[in-house]
Amino acid sequence: MESISNRTCIAGIGHTEYSRDSGRSELKLACEAIGAAIADAGLTPADIDGITKYTMDNNDPIDIARNLGIPALRYFAEVNYGGGGGPVGTIMLAAMAVATGQAKAVVAFRAMNERSGRGTPRFGQAATAPGAAGVASYLAPYGLFSPAQMVALAARRHMFLYGTQSHHFGEIAVTCRHHANMNPDAMMYGRPMDIADHQASRMIAEPLHLLDCCLETDGGAAVVITRADVAKDLRHPRVFIAGGGLGAGHWNHRSIVKDMDSKESESTVIAKHVFRDAGISQADIDVLFIYDHFTPLVLMAIEDFGFCKRGEGKDFVSNGRLRWPDGALPMNTSGGNLSEGYMHGMQNVIEAVRQLRGVARCQVKNARHAFVSAGNAVPTSAMILRNE
Amino acid sequence: MSELAFPYPIAEYGSEPYWAACNEERLVMQCCKACGNFRWQPAPLCVFCAHELYDWAPLSGRGRVYTWTVITHPVHPAAVALVPYVVVEVELAEQANLRMISNLIDCDAAAIEFGAAVTLAFTPHPNGQKLPVFRLA
Repeated sequence: MESISNRTCIAGIGHTEYSRDSGRSELKLACEAIGAAIADAGLTPADIDGITKYTMDNNDPIDIARNLGIPALRYFAEVNYGGGGGPVGTIMLAAMAVATGQAKAVVAFRAMNERSGRGTPRFGQAATAPGAAGVASYLAPYGLFSPAQMVALAARRHMFLYGTQSHHFGEIAVTCRHHANMNPDAMMYGRPMDIADHQASRMIAEPLHLLDCCLETDGGAAVVITRADVAKDLRHPRVFIAGGGLGAGHWNHRSIVKDMDSKESESTVIAKHVFRDAGISQADIDVLFIYDHFTPLVLMAIEDFGFCKRGEGKDFVSNGRLRWPDGALPMNTSGGNLSEGYMHGMQNVIEAVRQLRGVARCQVKNARHAFVSAGNAVPTSAMILRNE
Repeated sequence: MSELAFPYPIAEYGSEPYWAACNEERLVMQCCKACGNFRWQPAPLCVFCAHELYDWAPLSGRGRVYTWTVITHPVHPAAVALVPYVVVEVELAEQANLRMISNLIDCDAAAIEFGAAVTLAFTPHPNGQKLPVFRLA
């Protein structure tokens, strides 16, 4: 069977500013980010014939098409599980559509007023309905609501099983902040942070400190996907999708109380085929983009995607390995969800493309392969990008 | 009923017997008639063997602390007066990896340890529904 490998490219990237209050509608943010991505590719809205979206994004593809002047859509689709399906799953849907001729140029995007709450409710706040149904009926009556609280349970178990400590989680937060401080577009630009700051930040749900948690952000981010031969004639050096896919297993709770004792996870499912499809190994990755909703989950993703063994994450993330310019494997080089802006992972995709075009602020020399993951602890997605 | 309460559980198709038993201060779960495994959170088919038939079988309420978190930052209006409170994942004595989410009540958070023995209790939600909770044994 023919693989998706190298048949499609991310040809355009675009985003709005990232802020605490955008002052405009989520539809306006989507149109701005998508319009910028289309222009970046050297295309016009008339060239676009497909849109993929996060299921939970409030924007309707038809509204976007009407406002941007996209004359007709041949393809629209969406991926569930929030930041798990979203930032990579939408791109893989788009890649499959253009590779099979269902569409010619597809936009994948995320746009939301998640910090101001003007449209999208803040993820760090609990719904205040008097009753809870479904999975929440077994959690909310006990005061277990937010992703941070659920991650805290898994993080503490990881600490028990493997000796991981809070300062190892802090290393991830400090790394992302370090990169954000070289990115004037980052929300946390000009706000340096060290391990002592991390340790001193207030406790949210033990063992998670405030600085273990991602930002909340208003903004929009988008990419354009075309066939590789189409991308050859566009504005930028080509960035190929070398492999990618989605993953989940029966061990996934529908909530994100992650089962730390299962040897398999949503990430191990993907790792089995994504490296094979790309024809490379973890050691060939030059720059890493791990979805950073909560620092313990970043450490767990690094382990489960096979960059090190289970339990070795605490050593892997230490000693500056993930920091540009001197670390062996720089991660989230524009600041990530933790410090650039919480665009539900799409901002990491954009930075991965910049790295492979050779135009990132924290440019990794001779970067050839980037690994990009979506949120773990829920059904997730990941891909490998490569340049010419 | 106080407005400042965590949400009450809404009983649905498949979960009514679970919550009804709680109101009689009994913890019951579906136990597969084919493979004999319990499952927490009611499901139409056995999550181990996909068999359809099951019994609502009682559990002893004995278990051990698998993991826990002390929640200090309130994200719900009712949490403001309750923080810090302890959410626990308990591994029940009947079956390896049979785990449920609950609260550890009446405990010194600093005294909680992995593997600590716990026992079952019931505490009423302000709407009247009794909730299974745990105490350190």
